[in-house]
This record gives sequence, C-alpha cells and structure tokens, in this order.
Amino acid sequence: MYSLLFKSFFRTKIFLVSLILLLTVGVISILIGKQYLVKQEKTIAAAQVFQEESIKKNVEYHSEDLSLLLYYLRFTLIKKPQNINAISIGQSDVNPLLQAVTIRGLEAQKYDTDFENPSLLMSGNLDLGFVIIYLFPLVLIAMTFNLYSEEKELGTWRILAAQTSGKAKFLFKKLLVRILFVFAVLIFLMFLASAMLQIPVNANFWAIFIQSVLYVMFWSALCFWIVSFLKNSSFNALALISIWVVLTILIPALVNNYVINAYQVPEALDAMVEQRDGYHEKWDMEKDVTMNGFIGAYPQYVNYEVPQDRFSWIWYYGMQHMGDMAAKKTSKEMKDKIIQRNMVSEKVALFIPTMHAQLSMNNLAGTDMISHLGFLDALTKFHENLRLGFYDKIFSEKSESSVDWTKHDVKFYHVNREFSWLKLLLPTFLITLVIGLIGIFNLRKL
Amino acid sequence: MRKNVIQLLARQLWQDAFRSKVMLIASALMLCLLLFSAYSGWENYHDQNFTRDEIQDEVEESWENNPDKHPHRMAHYGSFALRLKHVLSVFDMGMENFVGNAVFLEAHKQNTVNFSEASMSTGLLRFGEVSLAMLLKVIVPLLIFYLGFATIARERENGTLKLLIGQGITRKEIVFGKWLGLWSLSLVFLSAIFLVLLFFVLIESHDSMHTDSLLRYVVLLVAYLLFFGILSAITILVSAFSATAKGALVKLLGIWLLFVIIVPKSLQAMGFYLYPTPSKIEMETAVEHDLAEIGDSHDPNDPHFKAMRDSVLRVHNVENVEDLPFNYGGFVMSQGEAMSTKIYLKHQEDLYEVYGKQNNLERYSAFVNPYTAIKNLSMAFSGTDFQSFLHFKDKAEAYRFKLAQEMNQLQVDLIPNKGKEGPNTISSDYWKEFPPFEYHFLNISDVFKNELISLLALVLWGVLSIFGLLRLSTNLKAI
Repeated sequence: MYSLLFKSFFRTKIFLVSLILLLTVGVISILIGKQYLVKQEKTIAAAQVFQEESIKKNVEYHSEDLSLLLYYLRFTLIKKPQNINAISIGQSDVNPLLQAVTIRGLEAQKYDTDFENPSLLMSGNLDLGFVIIYLFPLVLIAMTFNLYSEEKELGTWRILAAQTSGKAKFLFKKLLVRILFVFAVLIFLMFLASAMLQIPVNANFWAIFIQSVLYVMFWSALCFWIVSFLKNSSFNALALISIWVVLTILIPALVNNYVINAYQVPEALDAMVEQRDGYHEKWDMEKDVTMNGFIGAYPQYVNYEVPQDRFSWIWYYGMQHMGDMAAKKTSKEMKDKIIQRNMVSEKVALFIPTMHAQLSMNNLAGTDMISHLGFLDALTKFHENLRLGFYDKIFSEKSESSVDWTKHDVKFYHVNREFSWLKLLLPTFLITLVIGLIGIFNLRKL
Repeated sequence: MRKNVIQLLARQLWQDAFRSKVMLIASALMLCLLLFSAYSGWENYHDQNFTRDEIQDEVEESWENNPDKHPHRMAHYGSFALRLKHVLSVFDMGMENFVGNAVFLEAHKQNTVNFSEASMSTGLLRFGEVSLAMLLKVIVPLLIFYLGFATIARERENGTLKLLIGQGITRKEIVFGKWLGLWSLSLVFLSAIFLVLLFFVLIESHDSMHTDSLLRYVVLLVAYLLFFGILSAITILVSAFSATAKGALVKLLGIWLLFVIIVPKSLQAMGFYLYPTPSKIEMETAVEHDLAEIGDSHDPNDPHFKAMRDSVLRVHNVENVEDLPFNYGGFVMSQGEAMSTKIYLKHQEDLYEVYGKQNNLERYSAFVNPYTAIKNLSMAFSGTDFQSFLHFKDKAEAYRFKLAQEMNQLQVDLIPNKGKEGPNTISSDYWKEFPPFEYHFLNISDVFKNELISLLALVLWGVLSIFGLLRLSTNLKAI
C-alpha cells in the first residue's frame, strides 16, 4: 500500500517542484549562513589587527604621557560568534558583534552600531530558520491542500472508497507519505547545515532540530484539519494560504507593532543627552563636585591629590565617569523596557507556533535581543575593569612602559544561554495535538 | 466596446464578490487591520516625533546655557541631531525602524546614527510590520487574486462564457468588463485607506510641509491605483489562460509568493553576496590609514603640517607661530577637521555605493516584479526609504562640520595665540547665536529623481497590462 502511495506521489509535479525548491533555497540559506560566519571572522581578524596596530602607533606618539595615550586607545570586546548563529541570524545583524571602547565615558560608546545596509536589514536574512518557518509550511500546504478534494474532483474517490475499508485511514496514509517526505528534506537540510557550517551537534542544535520537527508537525496537523472539512480544492488552498499569511505575517507583525508602541523607549535618547551634560557641565564646576562623586563610587582613589588651579587627569577621568553616572538610572530603565518587550513577545509566542519557533530559534542560536543585552552587560564590566586597571597608573602619573601592552589584545565574551526543554517544546506540541485530534474527529463522518 | 455592457459585467463581478464569504471575511479583517495600523502608525509617529522634538529643544537649550568658555570646549560639547518622521511614515514605515534615530555631533569624529527601533526590538521584527501600506502591498494583492481567480476560468468551466459570447457580447467587453470590475473592487480598500491617510496629512499642520505632503500623497495614490490595475489585469490574464479555476488560484498564489516574498528577499541576499560590505572597523582602519598618509598633526616634523606652518609664517612674515596675529592652534584644528572630514566622507561614499549596488539588483527587478516598483515608490514618497535617511545623515554631518569649524574660527579670531596675554574664554553670546539643527525633508523633485526606475517600471507594467488584455480580447477561448 505504502509503496504504491509513494510511487504515485513521486510521480506528481508538485513533488518535484517542492523537492527542488526546498533543496535549492535550503542550500542557499546555508550558504548565506556561511557567508555571515565568514564576515564575522573577517571582522574579528580586522579588529585584532586594528587593536594591535593602533596600540603600537599610539604608544609611539604619546610615549611621554600615559593618560593622553589612554584617551585615544580603544579596547575591543567581541561577542564570540558560534557557528549555530548561522541557522537563525535573528537580531545579530542589527546589533554589532563587537565594541571597541576607550576608557572614557561608556554610555556614549556602548550603543554605537556597525555599518549595515538597512534595505538588507529590512528584508531580513534568508537563513535556514526562515526556510523552515516560511517555506516548509508552504510546501506542506501545496502538497496536501487537495489531498481529498483532488480524488473527489477527478472522480477517483468513489472507486477508492469502494476498494478500501478505511477511507479515513487511506487519507491518513496519503498524508503520511507527504509528511514523511517533508521531514526527510528537513532532516537532510539540518544535518547538511551542521556539516557545512561545522555546528557541533550539542544540546542547542538538537533543541533547534526538535523545535523544527515539531513546527512542521504543527503545520501538518493544520493541513490535515483543513482537509478534514472535505471541502473543494479552491476552498482548501484559500483557507490554508490565509492561515499561513495570518500566522507568519500578520499576527507576529501585529504583536511587534503593539510591543513597540506599548513599550516605547525614549529613555535611550534621554540617557544619551544626560551622559553628555553630566560630563561636560563638570568643566564649569568646582572640582570638588566631580571628585566627591567619583571618590564616592571609587573610595580607593581618595589619596590622590587633585590640584585646584589646573587640569589633572584624575579630574578628567572623574568627569568622564560622572557622565556615565548621570545616565545610569535612565540607561537601566531603557534596558528594563527592552527586557519587557522581549517578555511580552515570548508570552504571546506561546500561543502562536510561528512566533515561538522564531524566538526560540534565536534564543537557542544566541542571536536574540537578550543575548545582546548580556553582551552589553559584559561590555560594562569590561570597561570598568579596564578603567580600574589603568586608573592607579594614570593617577600616579606612571609612564607608558609600566603597562604590558601585549596583554591588551582583543577580549572575547562567551554567550551562555540556558533554556528549558519544557517551555521550548510543550506549547507547539499541545497546539499540534489539539488540532490533530479535531482533524481526526472531523474525519469520522467520512 | 459598449459602455453599458462593460458596466453590467463589472457590476456582476461586484455582486458575485459580495455574495461570497471571502469578501465578507476579508472586509471585516481589513477593517480591523486598517483601524489597528492607522492607530498604531499614528501613535508611533506622534509619540516618537514628540519625544525627538522635545529632546532636540532640550539639546538646544543646554547648548545655549553653557557659560563663557574656550570655544574648543564647545566643539567637544557638541550637539545632537534627532531624526524626525515624515507624516506619511504613518502610511509606510519603510526602513524607518531599521535606521538610527539620533546622532551625537562632535568635533573630530563622525558618530554613527544610533538607537534604531530594530536595535531595541525582539526577533519579531523579522516578520515585518503592519502599516497601512503593508495592507495595500501585501494583503490587498492577495485579496485581488482571491476575488478574481475564478472570473473567467469558472465561467468557462460552467459553460457560461460560451453563453455570454453567444448573446452577442464581444470578448473585449468581457475581458475589460471583468477587469474594471475587479479593479474597482480593489479600490474599495484603497479608498478606505487613503481617506484615513488624507485625514492624517491634513491635521498635521506644518504649514510649509502641507503642499509637499499633499503632493506626495497624490503620487502615492496614483501609484497604488496603477498597481492595483496591473494586479487586476494579471489576475484576469491568469484566470483566462488556466484550464480550471483551481489551477488559476494555485498559479496566482505562486505569483504572489514570488512577487512579495521570494524574489525580493533572494535578490537582496544575492546583492549582499555579490557586493560584500566592509565592517565598520575595516573602514575606520582605512580612514586612519589615509589620514596618516597625508600627515600627522601630532608630529612636529610631519612634512604636510610643517609645510603648512611654513607657508602661513611666510604669508604673515613672522618667524614663529607665537608671533602670528591669530590663534594658530585653532587654525591647525580647522585644517585638520576639513581634511579628516573629506577623507571620511570619501570612504562613506564608497560604502554607500556598495549599498547602492546591493540594492540595485532588487531595484531593477521592478521590470519583472511590479511589487518591487510599488514597494520602493511607496517608501520613497512616504519619506521612509534609504535616500531619505541619507539625506538626514548628510544634513546632520553638514551641521556637525559647521559647528566644529565655527568653533575653530572663534578660536582663531578671539583666543590669543600661545604665549600671548589675554582671556582664554569667550562670551556665551556666541553659543546663543549659533543656529540650532533643523531638519527639512527631502525635496519632492529629488524623490522623483531617486525613484525614476520604479516609476518607469510601473508605467511600463501598466502599458504591458493593457496590451495583455487587448491580446486576450482577441484570442480568449470560450471552451
């Protein structure tokens, strides 16, 4: 029975078209992921060279003054890319992969972006995640929308009905053949990606894999459900494509609009202005204003002398730090807003498999917003460690040679995201189960 | 062609449409979406512009309130340029959320425009955004296909097409009647959305912007009218050339997918693949390299700056820079600023040229994909395309340069030269005199120039559609 069904399926035009479409676009998406990784590698290599050379050059120019040298020097922190990023590029094309910062105020440097073509950002990456979320359902729809109606319209249904004992069973088998084909392509593409992009087959990879399988199951159940109404082909195609549009375009976009409007972030702009004023106004104030604040934050520097009548570096870097202090509260509020945006999106996503698939894939690939926030936190820590490492030497007017510059190569930040299997798999599983059962129930009247 | 016959056929299509459930569900859905996107678009436009306006004023106020000081301190104090949204961004968000909103303008340094909405968003942004234009660009085309796929194919399947022709109605009348019916049906959605939009354009009463906004509005309206006409023609043609209504539907859905999702996205990806862009750090390295080539202002023996100093000394007939009648430090700084700005802009231009090449692949595809044409036109005339952003960025950079150079000039003129007696600060009146940053949107004639290709493509598609319909009128098969 199955071999016959497979044979007749392999003879259809839609099988060939689907196979070619999925394989080509799938391979292209993997290549795009590859290209993304290569670009990252290139950027990192450039950053390493840049930092080494710029330290060498600046040390040469400002050898007499360590404080001035550190005014110019930039130190790079890089979010270590993982190959799994390439499956679901997510927000990592919008947010920079690395930040090169001086030891001056951080707030003014923290949100500097990389150069990206906004048209490309807008159209989004054609990564494997996209292929799975958008194209796989389409192929399923194309292969199953006339599962029953085709037989009916061609007049073959009556013959079949007379020959098979379980009509529903027959439809089910027919569906199974198509689903199995889609799964075969999915599994092939996943392992191809793993091989071509050298993604380690670890928990995160399996999680993305299983999430994808569940996601395709969800769409299979959905197609089955629509077919179970036993309507004509046009109705099925119309209904399924409408559902596809609603689930992959309309609802996520609506939620996105809602979240952006409900949690606006004017704090970002406020913090930027606060930081500038918090620093610059100190030039025109008593030195004590700066020093009291600075020593309040870092009491260990209380013993350094601050000349009242002239410029001194401790005062200068104190002023710089005061800029960050001025923006600290607003900056924190901004971060909280962004976390809130994420939380709301994730909550809604529990009910919408498309959104859930996208968000959890980004999460597992380490390309979501939260992992970027983690990077920004690490950057703050990195910046503080740098400053504290240099402050003593600057304030006691040590020379440039007191620093071992070879130690100051670029540093890496490792993303370490944890996830819960239950939260990952349960929502889609439950929805699939419910839809599938309704479908089976509908088919009883066949 | 008889006018009343065409009207009759068109009206019949309307009646059929309103009798079916598709139109009912679609209309209800569209109404909800219309309300939501109008509300959210307006709210976003209004709140964002309000915040940005407020901060721009704040920035200006704090600039003016600076006490007397050395002008170079003010050059470092700097300013901010905040991007304002065009009122038509309510209609089409375009790249609005993918480009930055605020840039810090300071001496010696070109900062990136930061805080794009995308940089603060969750991964959901990947699914796109709902706006009035999105409904017209993505959803309504689908509706046109839904409402029109059966027009001719089903009449033929049912044998009614033969009947019509037998009654003396010409093929041309059938084709154009159906086409006009479908097109006018799509205009129901178009007019609803454009009425709402007109309201927004009119109540946003920046006097100088008014005519400009209305002009943009009219262009958008005409472009969408044409676009829907083209889509309706495609629907009729596909329906006529398909054996069954189901076949027509599947083909049209395929076309929709290709037009709206697959072709634009893959061409964008291909452009990126063919013309790779340098990372920021690579460009910064290149800029530094070029600057070092010309000269190093830190090095007292650098040939470029030494030559400059010698020539200045010669002109003023003095031995040392200390003896010059003006502040030499300020002079060097202004020369350096001009030099570094020129180099930076050169590199930036190269970068944008690469972006242009990347995007051109999709842009030129407008000749095979009318959706691309309307997408680009819609963004451009809503002031939310990349060119509009670049225009803002250019203006902000010009303002930054002016600010730095003005402060340098004040230093040259008013701060005594090194070693000379005199005050080291100047009056705060100078800050108050310096004009604030004010942004004016791209001129509409420039928008036309930018979008020549899209306009041309759309018109060409219009001509092609009429031609296709005429061809169909002669060889429409009745059975």
